[in-house]
Amino acid sequence: MAHPDSPPALALGGIAKHYGYVKALDGVDFHVNAGEIVSLLGDNGAGKSTLLKVMSGAHAPSEGTIRIDGKLVTKYTPSVASDLGVEMVYQDLALVDTLDISTNLQLGREPLRPFPLSLFGFVDFGKMHKATRTQLDKLGVRTAPPERAVEMLSGGQRQVTAISRAAVRLFERGGGVILMDEPTAALGYEQTLMVEALIKRMAAAGFAIVLVTHNLPLCLNVSDRIVVLNRGRKVADVMRAQADHNKIVSWITGADRAEEAVA
Amino acid sequence: MSVKPPMSHAKTGGPLGAAAPKAPLKTARPSSAVPRDVALLVFLRDRGILVLWAVLLIGFAIWNAPYFATANNAMLILSASSVTAVYAAAVAIGLFSGAFDLSLPGVGALASCVTAVALQNFGFAIPLALALGVVIGALCGFVNGWISLKGLNPLIVTIGTLSVTSGLAAKVVGGYSIYGLFQLEFMGSARYFGIPSHAFIVAALYIGLTVFLTQTRAGIRMRAVGGNAEAVRRAGLNERQYRMMGFVFSGTLAGIAGMMTMALVGEASPTASPGVIFTALTAVALAGVSLQGGRGSLPRVLIGALILGTIADGLTIAGVEPYWATVSTGALMIGALLLDKYLTEAISTRLVRISTLNVHDGVK
Ligand SMILES: Nc1ncnc2c1ncn2[C@@H]1O[C@H](COP(=O)(O)OP(=O)(O)OP(=O)(O)O)[C@@H](O)[C@H]1O
Ligand SMILES: [Mg+2]
Repeated sequence: MAHPDSPPALALGGIAKHYGYVKALDGVDFHVNAGEIVSLLGDNGAGKSTLLKVMSGAHAPSEGTIRIDGKLVTKYTPSVASDLGVEMVYQDLALVDTLDISTNLQLGREPLRPFPLSLFGFVDFGKMHKATRTQLDKLGVRTAPPERAVEMLSGGQRQVTAISRAAVRLFERGGGVILMDEPTAALGYEQTLMVEALIKRMAAAGFAIVLVTHNLPLCLNVSDRIVVLNRGRKVADVMRAQADHNKIVSWITGADRAEEAVA
Repeated sequence: MSVKPPMSHAKTGGPLGAAAPKAPLKTARPSSAVPRDVALLVFLRDRGILVLWAVLLIGFAIWNAPYFATANNAMLILSASSVTAVYAAAVAIGLFSGAFDLSLPGVGALASCVTAVALQNFGFAIPLALALGVVIGALCGFVNGWISLKGLNPLIVTIGTLSVTSGLAAKVVGGYSIYGLFQLEFMGSARYFGIPSHAFIVAALYIGLTVFLTQTRAGIRMRAVGGNAEAVRRAGLNERQYRMMGFVFSGTLAGIAGMMTMALVGEASPTASPGVIFTALTAVALAGVSLQGGRGSLPRVLIGALILGTIADGLTIAGVEPYWATVSTGALMIGALLLDKYLTEAISTRLVRISTLNVHDGVK
C-alpha cells in the first residue's frame, strides 16, 4: 500500500526499557508502514506488551526514539499518541458495558436531534444507530445489532466492537496506527476468524497494524511481516514469505536468529 | 504519508468490502440473536422489581382486605414514599456517575434550615427562598465533587461533609428547629385533585431526570463515566466534568428532599438523620443499581421507594409491630441483592456458553 519512499507510519529506534533492575527491552528497532500488518511474537515475558506500551505512549522508553510519519516525537504520552492517530485496542478499558454498541462507538460525537431539541443536547438515536451501521458496514463487520448493550456480547463480538471503536476514530483522521495486544486470546474458532478478517480489512483500508499474539496460525494468516522478540531483543524481522512455522518457533525459543533476513 | 484517507474510498464504493474475504464474517450471524433463556433472565433482572411490587400489592390487598386496596390508602403510600424517592434519586444519580454520596441528609438539613431562616428572619419571597435552598444543595454537591476529584474516596469525603453540613445547619438556625412554616403547606401536606403535592414533585423530578439520563448527551455521558471513566477519557471527553455533574445533581436533589420534609412537617430541623440515607440506599439496592456505578435505571429506583412505602403501610394496617417493617425491608434488600447476583452470573455463564458453542459449529 505505502509508497516505497514514504516514511513508516510508526518507527522506533534503539528502544530500551528498564523496570528497576529488569531490562525488559534492549536496543529494539521497529517500524510499521501504512497498510501493513506486523505481528510481534515472542515467549512469555519477551517484552511484547512492553514494546506495545512504548508505542502507545503508556510507557516512556528508557532510551530510544519514536517517529510518527517520519517526525520525531519527544514528549510521547497516550493522549499525544491518540492525537497523532495511534490507537491501542483495549478490550476492557475502552468499552462501557452498560451502554449499547452504538453509544460506545459514537461516545463523544453523538449526533443531536434537530433544533430546538439540540439546544438541550437531545441525542438522535436513529441517526446514531445508522451512523454505526454505516461505519461497521464499511469495516465489513457484521456483529450484534448496534442497539445491543456491550455486556450482552460474547467475547468475540466485544473484541470486534473494541477494534471497530479504534478504527472508527481513525477513519475520521483518514489513517493511523492500530495496536492490538492478544486480540484473539480467549476467543473461539469462529470469533477468531471474525477478528482476523477485520484486521485484514483495516490494513486494506490503509491502517498500519501491530498485532501481538501467541496464535501462530493467526499470525501466519494475516501478517505482512513478522517480528520476534527474545528476552527483550529483536531476533527476527522478516517478511511473511520468509517465515514458516518451524522457523518462527526456533526464533521464539531463541534457538536461532534471523535479523540478517530483514528486508 | 502516501496512503489515501480511508474515508475517500467510501465515495468510490467501499474498498473495504472489495479488499478482504467476506466469507468468515457471515458465519457470525447465528451468535447475533440473544437466546430465549438469556432474554428471560435479563427480563427478570431488569423488571423483577415490578413483579415484586405487584406481588406485595396483591398480597397486602388480600391480607388487609378491605382496608388496603383503597384510593385513599394509595395516596398515603405515595405520600409516605415521596421523600425517600427523592433521596433515593439523589443516591442513584450519584452512583450512576460513580459517586457514593453519604452527606445527603446533611445537605438536606442545611438547605432546609437556610430556606427557613431566609423565610422567617429575612422575609424572602417563597420562590426566592426555595431557589436558595436548591442552590445550597447544588453548592454542597459541587464542594463534594471538587474535593473528591482531587483523588480522594467520595465515601470518606462525604462522611466529612455530612458532619460539616449538619454542623452548619445547626449554626444557621442557632441550634434549635424553626417551627411554624405554614406558608409551605402548598408543597407539604396539601393535596391537589386528591393527590399529595409531594407526588407531583416526585413525578416531575423522575420524568425530567429519566429523560435527561437516557435521551441527552450529558446524561448518557454521565452514566458512561460511572460505568467506565477510562472509556470516556479515551473518547476524548473531559471525564471529570461528568463526574462533577453527578455530585451536583445528587446535592441538588438532597436539597429538594430536605425542603420537602420541611414543608411536610412545617419545621426546619438541623438534625441530619442518617436513617434517611440508609432507607434511600435500600430503595436503590432493591432497584438493582450497582454500587460499582454505571448500572441502573431511575424508574426502578422509584418502584424501590414505593415498595418500602408499601411494606410499611401494609404492615401498619395489618397491626404488625413496626419493627417487623424494618426487619422485612432489610431481608428483602438482601434477597434482592442475592437474586441480582445470581441472575447476573447466570446471564454471563450463558453468554460464555454461546461463544464456546460456536467453536464446535465452526469445527464441524
Ligand atoms: N510494570 C512492570 N514492572 C516490572 N517488571 C515488568 C513490568 N511489566 C513487565 N515487566 C517485566 O518485563 C518483562 C517483559 O514483560 P512483557 O509484559 O512485555 O512480556 P510479554 O512479551 O508481553 O509477555 P506475555 O506473552 O506473557 O504477555 C518481563 O520480564 C516482565 O516481568
Ligand atoms: Mg503481554
